[in-house]
Amino acid sequence: MESYPLANAESVVARARSGDPAAFEALYRAFESPVYNLARRICRTTEDAEDVLQETFFEVCRSIGQFRAEGSLWGWIRTITASKALMRLRRNKYRDADELPDEVPSAKREDTALRMDLEAALERLGETSRAVVWLHDVEGYTHDEIAGMMGRTASFSKSQLARAHVRLRGWLGEESAS
Amino acid sequence: MTHLTMDQLLELDEPGLEPGTAQARAHLTACAACRAEYERLRQRQARLRALPTLRPARDRWPVVAQRLAVERRRRLVQRAAVAISAIAALLLLAVSLRPAAPARDVEGFAAEAQIADLMERSRALEAAIGAAQPDQRVVDGRTIGVATDLEARIADLDRMLEVQELDAPPGRGDMQRIQLWRERVGLLNALVDVHVTNARNVGL
Repeated sequence: MESYPLANAESVVARARSGDPAAFEALYRAFESPVYNLARRICRTTEDAEDVLQETFFEVCRSIGQFRAEGSLWGWIRTITASKALMRLRRNKYRDADELPDEVPSAKREDTALRMDLEAALERLGETSRAVVWLHDVEGYTHDEIAGMMGRTASFSKSQLARAHVRLRGWLGEESAS
Repeated sequence: MTHLTMDQLLELDEPGLEPGTAQARAHLTACAACRAEYERLRQRQARLRALPTLRPARDRWPVVAQRLAVERRRRLVQRAAVAISAIAALLLLAVSLRPAAPARDVEGFAAEAQIADLMERSRALEAAIGAAQPDQRVVDGRTIGVATDLEARIADLDRMLEVQELDAPPGRGDMQRIQLWRERVGLLNALVDVHVTNARNVGL
């Protein structure tokens, strides 16, 4: 699991707790990229991801007093980001029905010119599937944790992940010849 | 021979053992096709983790900082209102408990009247700030900085006044309280200037 060390993290957090604006900005500068990246991987548009970035740091600065020092700062910020991004998805009422049809040829009719790269394939997944793939495979959340954040069951998270990988495999031309 | 499904392949890396996992592992050992599929799955997951970090096209910190400043200002105003109410209640209590005998001399009554006047002016200025609705307007960073500084100084004065009211014996420390209230009125005047000027500019 990736971590984002912040120099003098304890001191920065202590100053942020006392309301020091410079400490708030230091937190923002340290975690701006990973927060945006996570938000962008879950949200459909850059505008939504930027809104999530903004809302996340507003929440981080307001709630820094609730952060427990024994935990990972990035882990805490990441959970806030994921919750905000998933909330944004719910608010926008994106549905997997919006997904593009599965029309990429399989490996049996392999045409390398039509193969998608991983970025494009990930982008093509439905909102929920993409969020599950990213949270599970990249951020390392368990199905139980994802289910908790999404307000669904662990079985739902598992089936979304499996379904997404079947699609990714097809779009990337990775299907077995057997 | 039935090959492993994607669910079963994914299950192989999940923590803990679920029914069927041992059987799936046994199948994986025996089936070259499933081993290849499993390897492709793991490589795909590794490639996902290796995707580049996306970065925002523009700096959003100024927007976050402005929202935080507005929030901070709102809290300070609320705290000041509470402090003033507490001071007023204490004053009333002190007046009601004062002995009927002429315990306070003329200077004491004059000081009390002066403080009451300064408190009234404070209230009027706070009402003027409230009417300007500073939270409803977009302001530049410099204005926020000046307003925040003034509000912080007012909050400091409120704390000092609170200490004065609680600690100073009756009839003592009047001059210091008058001085603190004068400073408070001065700072509120400056804050009114900041907000009213800004409101006019926005109006233009």
